[in-house]
Amino acid sequence: MENSTQESQHQQNSITHEAPFPLYSLAISPSPTRSHHYRIAVGSFIETYNNRVDILSFDPETLSLKPLHPSLSFDHPYPPTKLMFHPTATTSSSSPSNPNPNPNLLASSGDFIRLWDLRDHSIEPLCVLNNSKTSEFCAPLTSFDWNEVEPKRIGTCSIDTTCTVWDIERCVVETQLIAHDKEVYDIAWGEARVFASVSADGSVRIFDLRDKEHSTIIYESPQPDTPLLRLAWNKQDLRYMATILMDSNKVVILDIRSPTMPVAELERHKGSVNAISWAPQSCRHICSAGDDTQALIWELPTVAGPNGIDPMSVYSAGSEINQLQWSAAVPDWIAIAFSNKMQLLKV
Amino acid sequence: MEERVPANLKRQLALAVRSIQWSYAIFWSISARQPGVLKWGDGYYNGDIKTRKTIQTMELNADQLGLQRSEQLRELYESLSAGEASPQARRPSVALSPEDLSDTEWYYLVCMSFMFDIGQGLPGRTLAKGQSIWLCNAHFADSKVFSRSLLAKSASIQTVVCFPFLGGVIELGVTELVLEDPGFIQHIKTSFLETPYPIVSKKFVAAGNTRNDRNVACAVFDQDILDNKLIHLGCEELDIISPNNSSNGFETNLPAEDSFMVEGKNGGISQLQSWQFMDDEFSNCVHHSINSSDCISQTFVDHEKAVSAPKGELLNNHSLQDLQDCNHKKMNSLDLLSDDVHYQSVLSSLLKTSDQLILGPQFRNCHQETSFVSWNKRGLAHCQNPVGETPQKLLKKALFEVPRMHVGDLPQSPEDNGYKDGAWRPGADEIGMNHALAERRRREKLNEKFLILRSMVPSNLKDDKVTILDTAIEYLKELERRVGNLESCKELTEVEAKTKLKPQDTVERTSDNYGSNKSNNSKKPPINKRKACDIDQMETEINYAVSNDGSTDNVIVSITNKTVLIEMRCPGREGVLLEIMDAVSKLQLDCHSVQSSTIEGIISLTIKSRFKASAVASAGTIKQALQRFTLRC
Repeated sequence: MENSTQESQHQQNSITHEAPFPLYSLAISPSPTRSHHYRIAVGSFIETYNNRVDILSFDPETLSLKPLHPSLSFDHPYPPTKLMFHPTATTSSSSPSNPNPNPNLLASSGDFIRLWDLRDHSIEPLCVLNNSKTSEFCAPLTSFDWNEVEPKRIGTCSIDTTCTVWDIERCVVETQLIAHDKEVYDIAWGEARVFASVSADGSVRIFDLRDKEHSTIIYESPQPDTPLLRLAWNKQDLRYMATILMDSNKVVILDIRSPTMPVAELERHKGSVNAISWAPQSCRHICSAGDDTQALIWELPTVAGPNGIDPMSVYSAGSEINQLQWSAAVPDWIAIAFSNKMQLLKV
Repeated sequence: MEERVPANLKRQLALAVRSIQWSYAIFWSISARQPGVLKWGDGYYNGDIKTRKTIQTMELNADQLGLQRSEQLRELYESLSAGEASPQARRPSVALSPEDLSDTEWYYLVCMSFMFDIGQGLPGRTLAKGQSIWLCNAHFADSKVFSRSLLAKSASIQTVVCFPFLGGVIELGVTELVLEDPGFIQHIKTSFLETPYPIVSKKFVAAGNTRNDRNVACAVFDQDILDNKLIHLGCEELDIISPNNSSNGFETNLPAEDSFMVEGKNGGISQLQSWQFMDDEFSNCVHHSINSSDCISQTFVDHEKAVSAPKGELLNNHSLQDLQDCNHKKMNSLDLLSDDVHYQSVLSSLLKTSDQLILGPQFRNCHQETSFVSWNKRGLAHCQNPVGETPQKLLKKALFEVPRMHVGDLPQSPEDNGYKDGAWRPGADEIGMNHALAERRRREKLNEKFLILRSMVPSNLKDDKVTILDTAIEYLKELERRVGNLESCKELTEVEAKTKLKPQDTVERTSDNYGSNKSNNSKKPPINKRKACDIDQMETEINYAVSNDGSTDNVIVSITNKTVLIEMRCPGREGVLLEIMDAVSKLQLDCHSVQSSTIEGIISLTIKSRFKASAVASAGTIKQALQRFTLRC
């Protein structure tokens, strides 16, 4: 009962992994391994042909974060623009037809989507999702999202203005949509058949696979053609999504019921925002990270005050934070990447 | 239920608190296990209600509803404080969950956890002194006087009254400011608590009215709204009650009630509106909708002091922390007093368990401190701004440059470039791409024109663009000079002999052009530069020479009326068509149509033309003029 002596003094309760190269992409496995460890994939960001993805092991009990022994990694030609684990664990019962044939799949995007099979002591390339049967050329992918409700579906977005929906079980294209007028920078699934994307054309659009003819623009950047770089759909409350603009310190919170008018703009970052992630366990919390080296956790109030919304809490990293993941697997940990470090922050 | 609590006490409390329209009544009784300690005996809640979750199988009257709510709150408290074992399992047994509670209900709920030594706290002192205590502005009270002042603040409880009763203490509380009125207590005692059959007299309605005087109570805007809601709820109940209990008492006050109803409706509307934006899972939405605009900015200033237990938990306890912090701020009493510790620990233990309901069991064992610190504006001063760096450097690289790397990588052979451009959907810097394409097309056109120009001017072996332009300039000057000469010449001839026919003039002029070949015909010295061109075309010429026998057949001219049909074949070379057309126009012919085809380097031409009004050349002249193209090239 008596714990009032506790101080919320700032202690470095973070777990750091340091790599010999800059890190950008990262992913946390949705379910623990048999030894109750979570796997975390980190991708290097080297601007040449020889990049690497390392698999780390994280134990939330002992708070250990270390590379696997023997080390588990694979080469990736150019830096992976995104990494993601197969989302099975979070939706175990949703697809009874597909009883989880391979929960240890990791996908990486770059020139193509590549699927990797993570085994206990090795990683095997499983397949390359390549759209162009007739040519070698396929427009590079800026991002992708794995559909949690329908895990056989991966949606990719590309600089060629298209979004492509893949059936990864058959390794074929389910559909391809010319989604935007310019490059598409991020994609996020809302439901099994609904996704949204952001683009250099400055718009957020929602697509429904049941009606491919139409898309709904729910937001357009205030200055025309300010690219929108990232998109996060609130999985706890699908009415809300968040996006960030190029060279902007704002996190724009959108309510899909009120298109064009953001419900909130979070503007307490002192530099541009690089990454956003909704809390996996709460529909009112979102974390953002940016060039000001800070990761901010925000609680969205019901009614915004006149002076804007202040974040709830803050973490300062050593340098610009480039990546942020708040995974449902370990919801009280936020993973960030800055310079050559990956850090797990206790929420 | 405590055995010391009289059986019908709850009902009596209910009647009392409803008739005076206060928010709650609590009976503090001496604990059976710990003599000398006052603990929760019974209570009745009559305040603001956020959600009614119960599915009502039958119409309950206000009486039953109120009792039911109080029971549900008690059940919730018991399940929250008891159930450590299986937080998930205990939930269904309770009608209410923490998320369903309004701030006042929270207050009421947390009160259940309090215990007072006799002489300590408001109830304790009441019992010790044996006399009633009337506390106005309870939410601003020193926590030594009223240990629950922070909590009261969160629930906007302003007036608390305690008086000894049946060996315990009855506490009444209301969200409005009610000035001390000893008769009021006395009346409650006599009318409700000590009389088996309660009688509502006019006096108490009046008392209720004074309480409802919003001018007294509501200085703060947000309080205002809360009041409205409370009044609204209260009015509803009044309406329901009045036929049963106290119809006579209320008639005189009808106008007042009406106005309250209107206000209540407004309050209800604003409540509804705010609920649209609220998530049901959050317990303190009401608080947010009302107070958040004030509170948010100050939310975490006092975080370190105020929050003791619920560390690392994110959910609805934060809103309560907000509350606490706001309280601190507004009270300007940043020092926490010892009495608060109890209340905080109760809060946090309650909230902790409620958090687990939401967060799931895996976090119970996690006592790690958070990596984050509470945010404040001053903190920003410390954070360094990266200077001179490209904003979003890596993100931009990942989005803008990495795709380029792939593109640059894909075509393995340089010839692929053109093909790749074809495959490129307009994207990236679409403008840039289009620009590059346009630029290339422009260059191609430019080169094409240069080739044409080169073919038209006497050309050097060197064919860089500057040389071609130089030659063209020289050639144009030369031509201009000669045009001048010819014109003066022509004037002379016209003066000399008017009999001369124009076709001959034409012949003269055309002869200039092919003079170098048919030098005998020429009046002028051959143009050397043309020869250079001939050397250029030497090969073709030689080849052609073989098939040149009977070359007269290569130009057929037929003139009918003024229409001239020319059919000719000549060796193809660059610019030859232009030269032919030039020659044709010099013959004062107006071309109507030209058909040409090229077979094995030989151009077949069919030209339909008309003489210009004045000029008439003979078929022979035309043939002669054009024959040079078939001969040489």
